[in-house]
Amino acid sequence: MEFNIDDLPVLFPYPRIYPETLDAGGNCVLEMPSGTGKTVTLLSLIVAYQQFYPSHRKLIYCSRTMSEIEKALVELHALMKFRTERLGYEEEFRGLGLTSRKNLCLHPSVKREKSGNVVDARCRSLTAGFVKEKKERGEDVEVCVYHDNLDLLEPHNLIPNGIWTLDGLLRHGEQHKQCPYFTARRMMQYCNVIIYSYHYLLDPKIADRVSKELSKDCIVVFDEAHNIDNVCIESLSTDITEDSLRRATRGAQNLENKINEMRDSDQQKLQDEYEKLVEGLRGADDGRQEDSFMANPTLPDDLIKEAVPGNIRKAEHFVAFLRRFIEYLKTRMKVRQVISETPPSFLAHLKEYTFIEKKPLGFCSERLTSLVRALELTNIEDYQPLQEVATFATLVATYEKGFLLILEPYESDTAEVPNPVLHFTCLDAAIAIKPVFDRFSSVVITSGTMSPLEMYPKMLNFPTVVQESYSMTLARRSFLPMIVTRGSDQASISTSFQVRNEPSVVRNYGSLLTEFAKITPDGMVVFFPSYLYMESIISMWQGMGILDEVWKYKLILVETPDAQETSLALETYRTACCNGRGAVLLCVARGKVSEGIDFDHQYGRTVLCIGVPFQYTESRILKARLEFLRETYRIRENDFLSFDAMRHAAQCLGRVLRGKDDYGLMVLADRRFARKRAQLPKWINQALLDADTNLSTDMAVSSARRFLRTMAQPFRAKDQEGISTWSMTDLRRHQEKMGEERIRELQAERDLEREHEAAAMAAQAAADGRESDYEMDEEDEAQLMALDIPS
Amino acid sequence: MSRKAPNGLRTAGTGAGNPSSSGLPIISSDDMCPVCKTIRYLNKDMEFLINPECYHTMCVNCVNRLFNDGPNQCPYAGCHRTLRRKGFRSAFFGDLSVEREVDIRRRVAAVFNQVEDDFETLRDYNNHLQTVEDLTFDLVSGAEPRRAAAEATLQRWEAEHKAEIERNRRAGREADEQSRRRLAAERDAARHRRAEAVREAEEEKMERERTREAELDSLAQGAEGGGVGGPQRVQLKRRGQAASRAVEAAVGAAVTTAADVGRLSIRGLKEKKRGPAAEGPYDPFGGMDFVPSRYQVRPGLAHPGIDKYRLDPGHVTGGYSFDEHTARAMFEAFAGLGVFIEDEKEVGIGLDAGEVATISAGISAVGDRMELD
Ligand code: SF4
Ligand SMILES: [Zn+2]
Ligand SMILES: [Zn+2]
Repeated sequence: MEFNIDDLPVLFPYPRIYPETLDAGGNCVLEMPSGTGKTVTLLSLIVAYQQFYPSHRKLIYCSRTMSEIEKALVELHALMKFRTERLGYEEEFRGLGLTSRKNLCLHPSVKREKSGNVVDARCRSLTAGFVKEKKERGEDVEVCVYHDNLDLLEPHNLIPNGIWTLDGLLRHGEQHKQCPYFTARRMMQYCNVIIYSYHYLLDPKIADRVSKELSKDCIVVFDEAHNIDNVCIESLSTDITEDSLRRATRGAQNLENKINEMRDSDQQKLQDEYEKLVEGLRGADDGRQEDSFMANPTLPDDLIKEAVPGNIRKAEHFVAFLRRFIEYLKTRMKVRQVISETPPSFLAHLKEYTFIEKKPLGFCSERLTSLVRALELTNIEDYQPLQEVATFATLVATYEKGFLLILEPYESDTAEVPNPVLHFTCLDAAIAIKPVFDRFSSVVITSGTMSPLEMYPKMLNFPTVVQESYSMTLARRSFLPMIVTRGSDQASISTSFQVRNEPSVVRNYGSLLTEFAKITPDGMVVFFPSYLYMESIISMWQGMGILDEVWKYKLILVETPDAQETSLALETYRTACCNGRGAVLLCVARGKVSEGIDFDHQYGRTVLCIGVPFQYTESRILKARLEFLRETYRIRENDFLSFDAMRHAAQCLGRVLRGKDDYGLMVLADRRFARKRAQLPKWINQALLDADTNLSTDMAVSSARRFLRTMAQPFRAKDQEGISTWSMTDLRRHQEKMGEERIRELQAERDLEREHEAAAMAAQAAADGRESDYEMDEEDEAQLMALDIPS
Repeated sequence: MSRKAPNGLRTAGTGAGNPSSSGLPIISSDDMCPVCKTIRYLNKDMEFLINPECYHTMCVNCVNRLFNDGPNQCPYAGCHRTLRRKGFRSAFFGDLSVEREVDIRRRVAAVFNQVEDDFETLRDYNNHLQTVEDLTFDLVSGAEPRRAAAEATLQRWEAEHKAEIERNRRAGREADEQSRRRLAAERDAARHRRAEAVREAEEEKMERERTREAELDSLAQGAEGGGVGGPQRVQLKRRGQAASRAVEAAVGAAVTTAADVGRLSIRGLKEKKRGPAAEGPYDPFGGMDFVPSRYQVRPGLAHPGIDKYRLDPGHVTGGYSFDEHTARAMFEAFAGLGVFIEDEKEVGIGLDAGEVATISAGISAVGDRMELD
């Protein structure tokens, strides 16, 4: 937060562009340097816009992890506090964050569950509509007081105005004995800003439930969105294994038993459900949305309005239908060669062997939801695998294009024992995000690393009003990017497949590591393209005695696929960085560390990127996606692969520089980086001197030494003023200048004034936020340590 | 049809599989023939068959052994069905109750093969689907009286609606055939595209190689190529082409904008800039119109004043038409009328000063525009 104030020049292009975007109702893609407070910038501008216009459009701010959500909320809180001071009165404004039940639950026993799914399921069993009915009828059922207390409050005023951080929400919930999760869920309609995870908008299984009631004119912001295409794809892809099919069979069996039970005891309920289904799916859907079991994946609207096909209307018919489908899948899994087929060909084969038609298959997911509700099932987690199969059924029947079924009988080419997996993979990121673009008129996609910007609109298939990449203004060169192409013996270094295991290359990388370990103060982070390569190179280094050499200067810690181990390693790493021992963290460019964890200040003075982090191209899923991209969006394989590798590399580099008073070395060590320079984000590329693009190890080390020496000079905040931090007057001057230039184009003067104020506020808010910075850091750290996974 | 509940089949199978645990790995029913107790361990490619009469599994060897000599009784204890060799097949589903269900569905689907379009409303169709499903259920797992009733319904329907069923069947087959063809075509197209892409990539690579080789060659030859070697020249040429294309585009843009902005009224100017494509046959007069506007020359004019020339051989020698004579006389008489000497002196062409000013402004605008582009 401290650096936000520095950021104003960077921000400057915005106040002008922004209102235009929002007014025009368009989408934009923005790239801003990391750690420069883009969150607060966006927030302050949008809030200013919201409050200025009477329409009070709602802001939906999506971030990736829980810690990022909390950070954004804290910033919003500071901003609003400032606005209150500035304006002299408190605006009627409500901002909420939403995350999973697991993080927000207060129920004494439920909240202790480890898995998010279990928490969800247990909560549902305490709060579902029928449980309440039973209670009212005087039956002895367990309920959650936190939830029921909500019903005593006014439904549109469950929580006072103001900004509620997740923590604040929890505290408030504890005090008033009301459930924070449902408070947030139900208040979403009534608040001005919602901050939550991507999944609530992108994953059709959740979005339909959570984000349905948001109005069309909402402003949607996706922050840290460089990976948004993968999130989209993942949200629509499913993997089916033999085990999940087995459990689905069991689920179907249970369902059948339940139906039989209910037929004996409460025939009427089944009959009711049946009657509703005769009328159409939506008729059956009168339960509160938040209680629903699992929502349907993107069903086209006309399908939803249609009546359920006659042959799955009756509960027992439907269960038999599911059973047949599952058995069919089981048979398909027995095949011992790789098969890839399109949904239409799958459906044709399915129909031939099981007489299952496309139409009822498309209704599967919704029909199951309705049945589960009618049967008043509480132990919903048992039906998870069944639901997965039903979701798969619906998707495969709904989309002809953009999906592919790949059956891989063996885990790897060398495996002997079959472990078949049926991947139903989405190839088109545009499918999941399309509803978002269709529904909301202004969508902003932003991140620190989004180069090249054109790729995103192309991949996600949407038009943009603004596409900008902003550079960074700095009073001093606070980071030094370098491309090292040759080792100390002048042989070129690369992790390309042919040479990656050659001893000379490995040794050169080793000496690079040793040299930088020597000169780097405190922490150093090294990224490898893959776990596999990291393991092999580490063992080779061990044999060459390189690790022993590094050990003299720094502690060596390694990231593993195991989250627990990694968080332990991180903790140790941080301790070592703080107490002066210094440490090297060896991690993977596509792992958890590269994405969510910041290495600011002493935690990361050097980031060394060994090799271009290309994806594993032999993966059949990736191949299919590449082909799809080529045929549909005219993106060539190599372009995409190199784009993807470079965004990961940039993401890794961005880890060390989290603000303007921070400094660090960024070393890209691969011959191939020299040609890919243009694909780096503008703010990195700009700082990369031509002389530094083709270095050998010794040259890199000497220039790094020089850089570190200048960094060691005292650096006062005053030096930055006027260059990378602007005071109010600087700001006004700049604004006036810009204003004159464009005065004719700006439709109204008050617009200008407004922006002016917004920008000024951002400055102040940032300054204000400084105090709160310290508290936040600790929490933040704790969360990072826990390697929080977005839910 | 089996009278046993379908689940019974399953348990019979597993029951036979269990008591074979004498130090050997536990063998599931999938791996042991319940009839001859051969296990897969001994015979790697053992295959199991079933007969849709009773859905009892046995291995190929047993089937051959028991039924090659004609119909025989099922070897399962308590099953007294007579099976034939040709009835045996391998099961598609692992769960034989589903296998049986699907067999029944096949029969039902062959009889009730209407499609949605055959019904008045969607609701009717859905009701029909449900009835069929109920009937299928009765056939699969109904108690005996219901099963028999369902069987009877099925047969009656089949007998009564033979023609209709046949028609639907044909239509269905056609639809299937069509979709199959479409799928095949799509697959072909995809394969084709893939091959194309590979070829393109190859070509690109080759091209790159060639360029590089050419470059090396030119370097090797050194002297005469100098700095501007072959490939570079090619590049220059390419760049030149691109540039000229850009200029063309710019000119095109300029013309249209000038026309829009200045509203020039000179017809000839616009046409010339349109580029060579729009040009008709060659016109030596540059589109000048020779039809007199102030008078009209009629052929075969009769007047005593000119009649005498008509006979004059000086005027009507071979190749001359007398009408030419009159036309020419008229032209000479009218030439010069409507010409104002003062204006002519200033400009040189038949335009007035104001018009000239607009033109030059227009032209300069065009010039600016070009530079900008
Ligand atoms: S209602 Fe709230 S407090 Fe109660 S179990 Fe559910 S999430 Fe937990
Ligand atoms: Zn046998
Ligand atoms: Zn038998």
